[in-house]
Amino acid sequence: MRPAAVFSLLLTLVAGCSLSPARPPAGADASVELAAVPFFPQARYQCGPAALATVLAATSLPVTADALVDAVYLPGREGSLQAELAAAARRHGRVPFPVAASEEALVAELSAGHPVLILQNLGLDSLPRWHYAVVVGYRVDTAQWVLRSGRERRRLEGVRAFRRHWEGGARWGLVVLPPGQLPAVATPRVVAGSLAAAEPLLGAGATLAGWEAALARWPADADLAFGAGNSFRAAELPGEAFIHYQRALAIDPQHAATRNNLADLLLAQGCAGQARAALAPALKAVGADDPLGPVLAATAQQIEVAAGGSCKLPGDLAAE
Amino acid sequence: MLSRFLIVLQVIIFLAATAAVPARAAVVGNGDYFAPARAGQALGAAGAALARADVQAQLTALGVDPQDARARVAALSPAELAQLNARFDELPAGSSILGLVGAVFVVLLILELVGVTDVFSGV
Repeated sequence: MRPAAVFSLLLTLVAGCSLSPARPPAGADASVELAAVPFFPQARYQCGPAALATVLAATSLPVTADALVDAVYLPGREGSLQAELAAAARRHGRVPFPVAASEEALVAELSAGHPVLILQNLGLDSLPRWHYAVVVGYRVDTAQWVLRSGRERRRLEGVRAFRRHWEGGARWGLVVLPPGQLPAVATPRVVAGSLAAAEPLLGAGATLAGWEAALARWPADADLAFGAGNSFRAAELPGEAFIHYQRALAIDPQHAATRNNLADLLLAQGCAGQARAALAPALKAVGADDPLGPVLAATAQQIEVAAGGSCKLPGDLAAE
Repeated sequence: MLSRFLIVLQVIIFLAATAAVPARAAVVGNGDYFAPARAGQALGAAGAALARADVQAQLTALGVDPQDARARVAALSPAELAQLNARFDELPAGSSILGLVGAVFVVLLILELVGVTDVFSGV
């Protein structure tokens, strides 16, 4: 391409950028900055460990970026993958939640005291340069975001540049929290998925508080009551599990997975009759191609072969 | 070729080991129920074991210590495991370098100078 053509192309690009308004995110009516969030300057290519250490340390966890290198860094790619950052947070007893993909959600998280680890593309779509940073504030007066980024403790990024970088990273971000706390903006489905993913690493006992917090926020969500029930069952609290399964069925009597797990719980308590009654509506309603079908059938089978014994209803256990 | 063979061998051993265990209660676990529909569902127990071994091998091939690789893969959710297994090479690795050569470098430098990109100021 001739130099003149390159120049005119650049002019077009620059003009295109200046047309988009520097509109601040809705909800940002006051500046917010989480000044206490620590800073870990990144070593060469290692923004993943540095950004993860920042959000973990913000939850009062004593970690360093160096200690996280073996958990998230990929020498052959000279970088870190998003999924591995989430996985490493779980290994440190924290629950990672994907952030809602809007600037309004970022402001809401900051207002709730949650720094947000984000993926940015600092290059071009065709020639990306991926980078992790942590959003710790937003300034209304100058329309700038405040980031912990690379070797800058307090990087100020204008609204427009920030938007371009974050959109380049598909507006991906993580809120990393101690068990029992929830992000400011989320859907029940996202919260349930994050808690369920954390459970094998943290143990059911640790995620119980998260399920209860989620149920407190969305009391009419049958899936959350079901998830809480499973978590209580895994934590060997059958009485609480029973109560939560019943709660799920009170919200949604058609909740087949709850009927199945409740039946299994009742069977384990020696209550084959009650188990059969709990399962029957689900067995009747299940479709031929429903993936739950075989599970329901297996539970029904177990009920039929169960030896009669003394039935102790889990509700009695909860009262004890 | 050899690593492929080892993975298959590992899966066979895994399946043999799990088959020996008597059938457990038929409950629907949180891990299965709340996995995003598009990701984890297709992987059964065998598929998940294969994916786990595969991703672990990829991490090791990229210079991760084998012990670390095992612990890292174990901490992935079923959905994350499926994603890494399906598109490992396409996923962005934060802070990876560019293949900066000749003309590309010059173009980027110009874009940087006129403020379109922030390649050199963000490090």
